[in-house]
Amino acid sequence: MIRTQKIFTLVFLTCLLTGCGRFYSHQAAAGGSQRIVCIGQAYNEMIYALGAQANLVGVDYSSTYPPEIKNVPTVGYHRALSAEGILSLKPTLIIHDNNIGPDNVVRQLQALNVPMKTFQAKGDSIDGEKALLREMGTFFHKEQRAEELCAKIDHDMAAAAETVKKYKNAPRVAVVHFGRASNVYLIIGNGGGGDASTAGKMVEMAGGKMAIEKHGMQQMTSPEIIAESNPQVILMTEYGFDRLGSAEQAKTLPGVAETDAGKKDRIYRVSEHELMYFGPDTGENILKLSKLIHQ
Amino acid sequence: MKARRADRLCLVLLFVLMIATTAASIRFGAIDFSSHDMATAVSGKLAGSNDLTLEQRIFIQLRVPRAILCLLVGACLGVGGTLMQALFRNPIVEPGLVGTSSGAAFGAALFYVFGALLKVNLGGWTLPVAACAGGVLSTYLVFALAHTKHEGRSSILRLLLTGLAINALFMSGIGFLSYVARDPQARSIIYWNLGTLSGADWNSVLVVGAATVFGLVPAVAYAKPLNALLIGEEEAVALGVNVGRLKWIVLTINVLMVAVATAFTGVISFVGLIVPHILRILRGPDNRFLILGSALLGGTLLSVADLIARVSLRPAELPIGIVTAVVGVPVFLSLLRSREYLS
Repeated sequence: MIRTQKIFTLVFLTCLLTGCGRFYSHQAAAGGSQRIVCIGQAYNEMIYALGAQANLVGVDYSSTYPPEIKNVPTVGYHRALSAEGILSLKPTLIIHDNNIGPDNVVRQLQALNVPMKTFQAKGDSIDGEKALLREMGTFFHKEQRAEELCAKIDHDMAAAAETVKKYKNAPRVAVVHFGRASNVYLIIGNGGGGDASTAGKMVEMAGGKMAIEKHGMQQMTSPEIIAESNPQVILMTEYGFDRLGSAEQAKTLPGVAETDAGKKDRIYRVSEHELMYFGPDTGENILKLSKLIHQ
Repeated sequence: MKARRADRLCLVLLFVLMIATTAASIRFGAIDFSSHDMATAVSGKLAGSNDLTLEQRIFIQLRVPRAILCLLVGACLGVGGTLMQALFRNPIVEPGLVGTSSGAAFGAALFYVFGALLKVNLGGWTLPVAACAGGVLSTYLVFALAHTKHEGRSSILRLLLTGLAINALFMSGIGFLSYVARDPQARSIIYWNLGTLSGADWNSVLVVGAATVFGLVPAVAYAKPLNALLIGEEEAVALGVNVGRLKWIVLTINVLMVAVATAFTGVISFVGLIVPHILRILRGPDNRFLILGSALLGGTLLSVADLIARVSLRPAELPIGIVTAVVGVPVFLSLLRSREYLS
């Protein structure tokens, strides 16, 4: 009996000693032995662009770009997380963009004192994106790479602006985005907050005009509104486009066939990461987008 | 007398099964704990140590309360199902029938869509309180609308149909809220309706535990009058059962258990429907056995489902509502085919 107790005490003390070193490195800058779980697709894309992915041990389900990220274990959908699942990866830091849930799981993680970090800069504009790249660059000790990426964005944006000047007209563009959770498609209007406005900003920078001026996004829209707004170009994010299979199939969506875009076969597939949030390749993507919509 | 003894033996077996499942449920998950890990965590906690390792804290603060919450919620849903099926004398009844779970889901949906506008903030309690209030409110609505002066043959049938109607109403309310919600909110509503035990903590164990005790004790006490009701409503009256009173008591017990359990986990379907049937196939319709048995089997079934939800995609996790049917249906169907249950 006493022997068992001694063994328990010994094991307990060993756990205590080894445990302290591993889990209590609060707020350390990202260095050699960090184990990072990062929840947020935009953050993850930037981590890869910065070349800071070596310490990434877990990502969320929506983080699918760049393709190499699929080798990293996923902790599930960012609004249906499980504390134990995340902690099984033994993270020394959880990076998230404040869009995580459910709330009680977030509270569990806080109660267990797992270090969490959200970056200050909001990547919701070109300047915001550059600020975020620099902030993340500093955090991951990749300052130089961050500067290179910012310079590339400036360069590509200047090139995009030059290209856009050449076009006289601004085509009306509708963005169709499929929700993964429910089987409905959503039309993105201009304005609103968060990623709602991002697609609109991108289209405008690419020399287009959002066909639907309505604020907000991510709501089902009447097929009549789509037909009435009569976009000349329809951009469809890859998840929905691939499920339909082709631009021809996309025309079968209610309201789409009647539009100019439908009649002239100007329905294009775009990647979510190119259009729905700002990223390190945004300049390049806008350049591509401007050519696509002015074809 | 012989039958009662066999029932008791069956209860003991169910209890053993429940303990075995719980042991597995405590041990395995996103992280597998060895018996050593578990012992050190518990002894460290009992010794009042404040610097447990992260693994030990995961065990004490996440794993154990979750395993216990599984048992409690499963028991609530199982007993709720047994009570409802006994009261309505109808095999397709489940505990949410009188509006409780759709009301709770509506309360949760309201919280997800408009919670940010609330002046009162109860922290982590806001969502369970909103859900529980929705469940109680919708059930009360069903009671009030189904109530007439002419108690008698039709009163239980009227309650059943009113429940169906109110359910439909609240489901359309949830549909509307998902429609006006922004995408992340809509997804939260969808996930809530699939249920999860990932938010389990000691507070939820305490609250649901209290509901289980306060529900189970009177439920067992009213098993005999419910048995009388098996023969028929008028026959039960003739046997001296106050059917009107019994109805309200049983419904109140059901609301207490189902609304509180659902408030902490989201809607978990099917457990309440299937558990009483499995037991009835095995041992017949005696409610004295069914009520205790469904508490044990409900907890066991939910533990198994939660274990599968936790380990199948680790480190990610499945919503438990997806798993309960996958686990329960094969058991149910095989029993249904092997016995002449319905004839």
